[in-house]
Amino acid sequence: MSKLDPRRIQQALVCMMFDPVYAGVVRGPAPLDELSPRERELLRGVDPRGLATDDMRRARALHVILDEYPVSAALLGVEAVDQYFSSPAFRACVFERGSMALVFGRRYLLGASDKLHGIGAIETAMASARRVDRQRHPGLGSAPGLAPVSVPAGSLAWYQRARARLGPEPLQALTKLRKPWPQKPPRGGREHLLIEAKGDGSLAIGTASAALVGLLIAADPPRPRAELVAAAIELGAEADEADELLDDLIAEGLLIQSEPRAQASVSDRMAFEGA
Amino acid sequence: MPSFLERVGALPTLGLGVSTEYGARQQHGALDPITLRREHPDFANFLEVGVEIVKGLDDDARAWAARSWPSTYHFLDINLDEPEDFDDAWLDAVRQGIAALDPAWLCGDAGLWHFGARDRGQMLLLPPVLVPEAIAPMAAGITRLREATGREVLPENPPGAVFVGDLHLLEFFSRVAEAADTGLLLDCAHLAMYQRARGHAPTTGFDGFAWDRVIELHIAGGRELLADGLSWVEDDHGTHVLPETWEIARAAIARATNLRAIVVECERNSIPEVVPLFERARELVAGRKGFA
Repeated sequence: MSKLDPRRIQQALVCMMFDPVYAGVVRGPAPLDELSPRERELLRGVDPRGLATDDMRRARALHVILDEYPVSAALLGVEAVDQYFSSPAFRACVFERGSMALVFGRRYLLGASDKLHGIGAIETAMASARRVDRQRHPGLGSAPGLAPVSVPAGSLAWYQRARARLGPEPLQALTKLRKPWPQKPPRGGREHLLIEAKGDGSLAIGTASAALVGLLIAADPPRPRAELVAAAIELGAEADEADELLDDLIAEGLLIQSEPRAQASVSDRMAFEGA
Repeated sequence: MPSFLERVGALPTLGLGVSTEYGARQQHGALDPITLRREHPDFANFLEVGVEIVKGLDDDARAWAARSWPSTYHFLDINLDEPEDFDDAWLDAVRQGIAALDPAWLCGDAGLWHFGARDRGQMLLLPPVLVPEAIAPMAAGITRLREATGREVLPENPPGAVFVGDLHLLEFFSRVAEAADTGLLLDCAHLAMYQRARGHAPTTGFDGFAWDRVIELHIAGGRELLADGLSWVEDDHGTHVLPETWEIARAAIARATNLRAIVVECERNSIPEVVPLFERARELVAGRKGFA
């Protein structure tokens, strides 16, 4: 008898609820690596009509993605963004316990880099910075709420103009968009950005040196200090100064040592403040 | 540690109560739990507070807690069968919520509260997969939460339009409760949905159910819907309670020897609209010690 993992069944069920095509594949005869025959047999018994009882499920999730990736959505078109929920990237998010918004930026948008250039990376970094409370690997890493990113030169200014063009209600603007924007974001040269979440929920975006951004990128996810020393040397630090450089970045709050125990999140603390 | 059936003696009888969750009163005309308690003390002996950690407690829950009135803590954001979901930040925040409310116990739907990570846009609620393999992970999560909080944790049967797996829902939860050595929260409206979905009579599966572990019942309205020929019930907590829900509640009250609490879930309706539901629930427990 083949194995049966109830969590995998539920994960597949979620994907089936988001994507009728995937539901059809589960019911069909084609091979499917993520499910054992027993798991698949149980899912085949589900009435397809029961998967569609929440007809706003996908729209609500799309709303979240459009809210966090408005300029990418304008460049790709809302329909292309909606296809995320039928993609292997979305299924990977569900099966691998991922963040829907981060997986969208880090995996799904990779396939659209020829249209987005640095814009998808900027919005992905913003989504990452917002998630100050996400669980972290143990080790030395960039501080929670800090997201470094390297993009083609001029991307930040281009992004800010595009974001302003969408106005104060970007979702409404996107809903009215008949076809994707034809404009092309910059593609030559490099600029290096640091995005930082503020206590009030806003984000600050500024430029930084290539070496600093490179080192902070190397520190996400966190890793042992010795590896980060080696990365600093690769990025141009003197061998006898790399340790001191890391200490300085720790003192400035740009790098932080994460222990195996996860930190209490800012949002959690705020939720019960004064309770 | 004593067994649950020995520990149950220490649990208070809360009687009839009402539920809330963050922002419930933002709906026009929705009841104020404190006003309900003032006008109808018998209907709001306690407040069941639905908590999603990222939202915290709203003003109604805080106002209730400030009066040191009885409450229960209903979690809305933990997949009990996922060890990864018990991160320290979440547990710390749950402990803060417990410190604020001092609930008689913790309870909540033992289902899938979110897919992927616990993140924005990923919340939902699906019932567990009703197979023997799902029992041990669920029980482990219940035990872990009980040990982490020092409070009893009562799993609740979740709602659903789709149920996967061949075990009867009542058998599944009996086995979970036994494996975790805990009590149960039986949601009569959710059970009615399940029985309908499976084509069962309302009280199918009652024989052999762990009635002595049932500590709390939920009674709630549901909206009957038809989509593409499929009939199903939406768990809308409205004022129309299905006849099967009342039938289940009546039969459950007769069997649940250790029953401590009944919640009428109706938080987004006005007091005049919900008074008849409480009156009917009160009739069901008439003469029962601690409920009169």
